[in-house]
Amino acid sequence: MEALLDFAKGPLFRFSFAVMILGLVRIVVLDIWGAVNAYRRAGDKKLDWNGAIRNTLHWLFPVKHVFARRPVYSLLSIFFHIGLIVVPIFLLAHIQLWKAGIGLSWWSLPPVWADTLTLATIGFALALLIGRMGSAGARYLSRKQDYLWPVMLIIPFITGYFCANVVLGAGTYQLLMLIHILSGELILLLLPFSKIAHCVLMPMSQFVVALAWKFPARVDDEICTTLHKKGAPV
Amino acid sequence: MNRVKTFKTILWAITGLAVAFGAARMIFGLGAVSNLSDATPWGIWKGLNVVPGIALAAGGFVVTAVIYIMRREEFHRYAKITVLLAFLGYITAATALVAELGLPWMVWHPIIYWQHHSALFEVSWCVMLYLTVLFLEFLPTPLESTGSLAAIRRFLTKYKLVLVFLGVMISTLHQSSLGTMFLITPDKLHGLWYSSLLPILFFVSAVAVGPLMLILAVLTISALYRKPIETDILAKLAGASAIVLGLFGLIRLIDLAANGKLGLAFDGSGSAVVFLIEFTIGVLLPVAILSVKRLRRSQAGLWVAAIAGVMGIGLHRANIAGIQLVHTGPTYVPTIYEIGISLGIISAAILAFLFCVERFRMWETPWEDPRQAPEAAPEFDRVADVWLGTPRIAGRTVYSLVFIVALAAGLAIVSTDRIESSGIKEVRAVPARGGDTLFVDGNLDGYGVSFAHKAHVDREGGNASCSRCHHMSLPHDQQSGCATCHSGMYTAADVFRHDWHAGPDGGNLTCNMCHATDRERSAESAKTCDECHKDLIPTNAQITVKQYMAPSYTDAMHGVCIQCHEQKAQQLAGKESLARCATCHGQRQTEYLPAGVYEQFRDTSFNRVITPPMATGGQSDGKDAE
Repeated sequence: MEALLDFAKGPLFRFSFAVMILGLVRIVVLDIWGAVNAYRRAGDKKLDWNGAIRNTLHWLFPVKHVFARRPVYSLLSIFFHIGLIVVPIFLLAHIQLWKAGIGLSWWSLPPVWADTLTLATIGFALALLIGRMGSAGARYLSRKQDYLWPVMLIIPFITGYFCANVVLGAGTYQLLMLIHILSGELILLLLPFSKIAHCVLMPMSQFVVALAWKFPARVDDEICTTLHKKGAPV
Repeated sequence: MNRVKTFKTILWAITGLAVAFGAARMIFGLGAVSNLSDATPWGIWKGLNVVPGIALAAGGFVVTAVIYIMRREEFHRYAKITVLLAFLGYITAATALVAELGLPWMVWHPIIYWQHHSALFEVSWCVMLYLTVLFLEFLPTPLESTGSLAAIRRFLTKYKLVLVFLGVMISTLHQSSLGTMFLITPDKLHGLWYSSLLPILFFVSAVAVGPLMLILAVLTISALYRKPIETDILAKLAGASAIVLGLFGLIRLIDLAANGKLGLAFDGSGSAVVFLIEFTIGVLLPVAILSVKRLRRSQAGLWVAAIAGVMGIGLHRANIAGIQLVHTGPTYVPTIYEIGISLGIISAAILAFLFCVERFRMWETPWEDPRQAPEAAPEFDRVADVWLGTPRIAGRTVYSLVFIVALAAGLAIVSTDRIESSGIKEVRAVPARGGDTLFVDGNLDGYGVSFAHKAHVDREGGNASCSRCHHMSLPHDQQSGCATCHSGMYTAADVFRHDWHAGPDGGNLTCNMCHATDRERSAESAKTCDECHKDLIPTNAQITVKQYMAPSYTDAMHGVCIQCHEQKAQQLAGKESLARCATCHGQRQTEYLPAGVYEQFRDTSFNRVITPPMATGGQSDGKDAE
């Protein structure tokens, strides 16, 4: 068991972390590359840079867009994202591992905050899952990975919370720790190849939208003419 | 996936691994990834990438000389490929060199810090210059398709002949001086490989194998991109190559025979077997195949001959660069990281080669169907919104995925322990032996300097001259021997022994005999040795003792001799040779070894005496034995 833990902490962690970083860089590069190629071929080279940047910033805090329709869901989502990002990076135990490994350390969350945020994140994730399943529209749009990811993401949070706060037998502790590490590494590994890649692809997708879907001002009539529905309301 | 894509995917994977290993080598140092040591400082990077790689890149100057100077127009179609091959070959070698040397930010040092007496100095300058020449020779090719910078392209094309001449000159210099470098290994390199003709052998083998490498590249491209092979033209090139290869074999055999070393090839030792294999696949097999006209003009014959020749000459270089050198340490086996870096550099070079083949017009002769040429640009059909033909970026998703996964896997398996050198092994210097003439051989390896002690005493003015060299003696002693204080052969040694002074043997001195009572007790605040030992420094000592750390025996011997010898060489007419190394280190001083030792312990394969029995024990003085 200990050899397995060492393997998971050492080579396996290095592998999954490297795959995550390199994989994210890869999809960004491929995305830009593809966009540049598309831009070269585009007949209309005008690009709404400001709009794309504005959209990106708006979606970083999706207050304006979604608030009006699903305020609770939006708020939950924002807090869920905060917990998801802050806890693993600023947890003291994780920082100590980094320090032992490569000698770097940074500011850490006070333990009480970390525990609270962990529990909150688990709660938010479950709430989001219920919210998704409860809405017919959301159900219609959801794929399998949309249901799987919230579950997947909270496994390391649950196991991590137990390992840190509950007195356990040595065997149980090691088993939970192994699940904690392996599930975390699975997340890192799948990150660049699944919907979680939106963490870097979000601005990209805004540019793709700006590039591909644009209608210059007062083009309505032209479109209607093309569609043989001249005079129809747009 | 088609075969080009499969091939490239594999190459990308190896490159990814090598990048990870290379990063570990740069961050954690040589010890973390390699089995290189002080005893075996040259490993697979030198033996595979650098020394053979330079030979395989020789086509760059051989074939261009044939095309542009000898004006054999039929080979003109391979001009661009051979230049590209050489360019990438040299970059491969340079990259491997950087992987081994480390400190890549100091790569410019040979430009500023000149070491005229080093063969490597010449090699590094030639490689720098030749890389520049190759770059300029290759530059017009990528510029063809861009259309921009046409002025540069026209200029370079106009003065192509100058570049070709420069290439031939520089290559001739450094291909041979790479061999020159190994002339310093007469007693380390096995007799079957060591030869005073090494510079010539290196040059001739490079001339022979350069075209063979080009043939191999052309055959590979033809196989990958399904281009018909122009066997008649390749056969001419191969035939010429075979003649030079035969010449190389002949020189080797005659040289071995003339030096009476031919018998070593059949003594059944491992080296002899390696020699026979090397000679067979490197010389006999390709020459035999290529001398038959029918085989020379067949695809299979060309393939076998080219691969055999390239591998044989590569093995020859690898043998000289490491395999057949005497190893004093543990047997060197390259780690998977070293092999990975080695193969990764080659893979990256092949990828760059294929990139150029697919991107630029590397062939003079048009393909039957221009759209089938590897460099044919695909067309984009705006109406149907599809590519006609393979888009240039095809495969990027697969390649990049394979690359990053391999890189991550490499980072996962690499060792992260920083391993540091244990430093120089301490060897205690043994005092010089003899009478009027002293045999100075501190490490007892049978090589030494016979120092005419009495002659020096007489010349310098009898007993009054002792202090000319002897600048410090043991207490109650006169003119202690050099090794008394300079006791480390290669390392400095502390003359003062604190434990001994404080112990019963040293008089049980209390602290305040040397250290002041009111100050911190340290070496600085203590009395100096000569405050008590009045007879430590002889009167009129000409060498002043500045500290009690005695330099190593070698440094001390060189320091005391060379300074005076250089002065005398200038002052005395006809004594210029006094300042030369060989004046003292000239011959093997066999007469100071016990009778029969030299003959008994002379290793005939190497021009070397294995440590004589004096080293292991007995005080058997050379003179006494006689």
